Amino acid sequence: MEDVILTMKGIDKTFPGVHALNHVDFDVRRGEVHALMGENGAGKSTLMKVLTGICAKDSGEIVFEGRTVEFRSPGEAQEAGIVIVHQELNMIGHLTVAQNIFIGREPKRGLFIDDARMNKEAAKLFAQLRIDIDPKETMSNLTVAKQQMCEIAKAISHDAKVIIFDEPTAALTENEIEQLFAIIQDLRAKGYGIVYISHRMDEIKRITDRVTVMRDGQYIGTLITAECTKEDIISMMVGRVIYEDPKTENRCPPGAPVVLKVEHLNAGRLVRDVSFELHQGEILGFAGLVGAGRTETARALFGADPRDSGDIYIDGKKAEIHSPRDAVKAGIGYLSEDRKRFGAVLQKSVAENTTLASLQKFMKGIFIDKRREAGTAAEHVKALKTKTPDVEQPVKNLSGGNQQKVIIAKWLVSDARIMIFDEPTRGIDVGAKQEIYELMAKLAETGKSIIMISSELAEILRLSDRIIVMCEGRITGEMDIADATQEKIMAAATREIDQQRQAGAKEGSRP
Amino acid sequence: MKIRIERFRALRPVRAVGFSRVVLTLVLILLCLLFQALSAIVNHGSVFLTYERLISAVNYGYFIGFMALGVTFVIATGGIDFSIGSVMFAAGLISGYCFRHYGFPMAACLVMCPLIGMVFGLVNGFLVSYVRLPSFITSLGLMQIAKSVGSLFTRTQNVSWPGESEAGGWFRSLANLKITLSGGRVLNIPTGMILLIAVAVLCSVVLHKTRAGRYMLHLGSNREAVHLSGVDTRRWEILAYVICGTLAGFAAIFYVSCYTTVLPGKGDTFNNEAIAACVMGGTSMAGGLASILGTLIGTQMIAVMQEGILAMGLSISFQYALTALILISAVIADISSRRRN
Repeated sequence: MEDVILTMKGIDKTFPGVHALNHVDFDVRRGEVHALMGENGAGKSTLMKVLTGICAKDSGEIVFEGRTVEFRSPGEAQEAGIVIVHQELNMIGHLTVAQNIFIGREPKRGLFIDDARMNKEAAKLFAQLRIDIDPKETMSNLTVAKQQMCEIAKAISHDAKVIIFDEPTAALTENEIEQLFAIIQDLRAKGYGIVYISHRMDEIKRITDRVTVMRDGQYIGTLITAECTKEDIISMMVGRVIYEDPKTENRCPPGAPVVLKVEHLNAGRLVRDVSFELHQGEILGFAGLVGAGRTETARALFGADPRDSGDIYIDGKKAEIHSPRDAVKAGIGYLSEDRKRFGAVLQKSVAENTTLASLQKFMKGIFIDKRREAGTAAEHVKALKTKTPDVEQPVKNLSGGNQQKVIIAKWLVSDARIMIFDEPTRGIDVGAKQEIYELMAKLAETGKSIIMISSELAEILRLSDRIIVMCEGRITGEMDIADATQEKIMAAATREIDQQRQAGAKEGSRP
Repeated sequence: MKIRIERFRALRPVRAVGFSRVVLTLVLILLCLLFQALSAIVNHGSVFLTYERLISAVNYGYFIGFMALGVTFVIATGGIDFSIGSVMFAAGLISGYCFRHYGFPMAACLVMCPLIGMVFGLVNGFLVSYVRLPSFITSLGLMQIAKSVGSLFTRTQNVSWPGESEAGGWFRSLANLKITLSGGRVLNIPTGMILLIAVAVLCSVVLHKTRAGRYMLHLGSNREAVHLSGVDTRRWEILAYVICGTLAGFAAIFYVSCYTTVLPGKGDTFNNEAIAACVMGGTSMAGGLASILGTLIGTQMIAVMQEGILAMGLSISFQYALTALILISAVIADISSRRRN
């Protein structure tokens, strides 16, 4: 087809241990908005990174305007006319709007920058986009939406032909979204090719012409937006075969006492009026897309981040948790998704990491009783089947799964009764995953209460007794494992904004 | 060759002390021999390894040593303290002035030294751990404040501590105990070295056997992980600065007992030497790794270097550049060894 401006064919990319892109096809036509969808980790970002030269492909072909191209840096891609408007904006706050747009290629008059011409050029761009922004304004004084429009203006000034929007509406209000859509429609009419990445189903339906769905690094299919339903898209996104048996019933006994109760928790933009209960011996799954506010909820609950309001009750008694120290004293343990940064002290030994949260129990007078410490660590190595030559081994020498086990041991030694697992198997290979799952199930059986945050639906369905789904800081779904399906969870995780508002209002009115 | 090194590395005593410490000691000995040879050539026969020069080097190592031991704790937590030299001088100035002008007893003045250091350490530590400022900035600030405080207290005058024969001169035997033998010969016992080693042993115990030391090292390795394990990181961090300041104050006693006079507005040149001693000894600037024994050996290295430069008849101004070069090379060695891992 002659109006196809960009074609990606058979793109393959492997990272150590992960086949990130498996022969993916994708194309963009002049004057269309093409949505790219998929769960987290489906490969959307990697595909765009390959396209814009941020990372190199292993094989496959990119044809742009009839020529085979291979960009080695985002600069080259930009030069050719492919520009990405990032989710996090790349503007320099203390420069003016015009300075930001023309950074690195300022118009000059002799040795000096020709500010007047630069401002005039910027004004021309804004006029073209029908945006009202003063080129002389300092960037940091603009709203996020306005900054984004500057990014778009910058893209156009680069003579872009393909513009990629990566979750552009994540930080915008409804009015601002309308404005953005008007601009996008306008760009489409002018013949730009637009790639639109978003998780918001209603937006996809409203402004895109075609939808391409990816899953697990593979191209699944492309649909004409007008001819498909939301359900079609969702089922394409989640339609993977689950090899492990999902749990079919809630194994937590019906009369189990509530050990943790969170009421109307608010913390920043991503934790809004979150309320839930956790029973003894229960695994409560927190599902949702990345950025839904699950980690933020966990951190606020654990005292790692400040909370704006809300109460926490442990065993029915109000708990004052303002720091991780308070949380640990109250019997909560947090296993971060980023083990290297927030979990283990990598340079130090298995033994030292095992007692990290409860060293006061291993004191003999003012000295650390290293023999008892090593003994306890060895016991846990044995019980959890941690693979390590000895307990003196630095944790950094262990594999991801075994590092996770050392962190689990740390919380067992500190007698944590409530354990928050944040992405418990991230970066852990398949065999070790299985072991971590069994370990978590066993912990629940022995009466530990577990909150498990996971972006892998299979993991959620396999372990949880109950599931809470979050979207944009709010709880948008709660279901028993017996009623849960991938489709239901995905629908709640991508629930539209107005529906959330209603849900929020209802929750607010509940006593 | 490689296999031989590996075999040597695996020897029990070598493992106990640490391979790099053994290498450092060998370098120290080589350095002495090098200076011996060079000074013999330069000075037509006058050599480096004489009794006087050795005593002089050992004396120099006392105050540098106490400062270096203290700053080892701060560097272990991943911080830095540039104020120790000026804090030492402030302690020497204030307590010496109290002795001279307010008639304080010598014993009280000796106790005042570490206490003054402690106050500076407390302020520095508070700013770093509770106000969460970078230690690099706070300690540079405290360096200047310590200079000002010392100068203002003494009205910008030098302070000379009493000589051996003067009243209160007994304090000098803390560094060098001089016994006159029957034949009129004077025997010099380096008591300062005994005290330095005793304090080093104490430091080593604190760093490796107690909760405080454990948490300081863990803090330097991964502060966030320690914090999220429910440890009150601020408490242990401030303690490192307090120890550092106290030992810097303590160092003042040994400075004045060897060099008598403290000048106002000075002292900052000794920071680099103490920090270099520490880093040379294997304490990582990135935090998390520290060796007290290494600091002790590094200190002797700095002392020998200073004496060697004098022995060759070179200006002491060389010392500043040389220390800086050593510090930079030690940090390069530290970084490249961590990259390899």
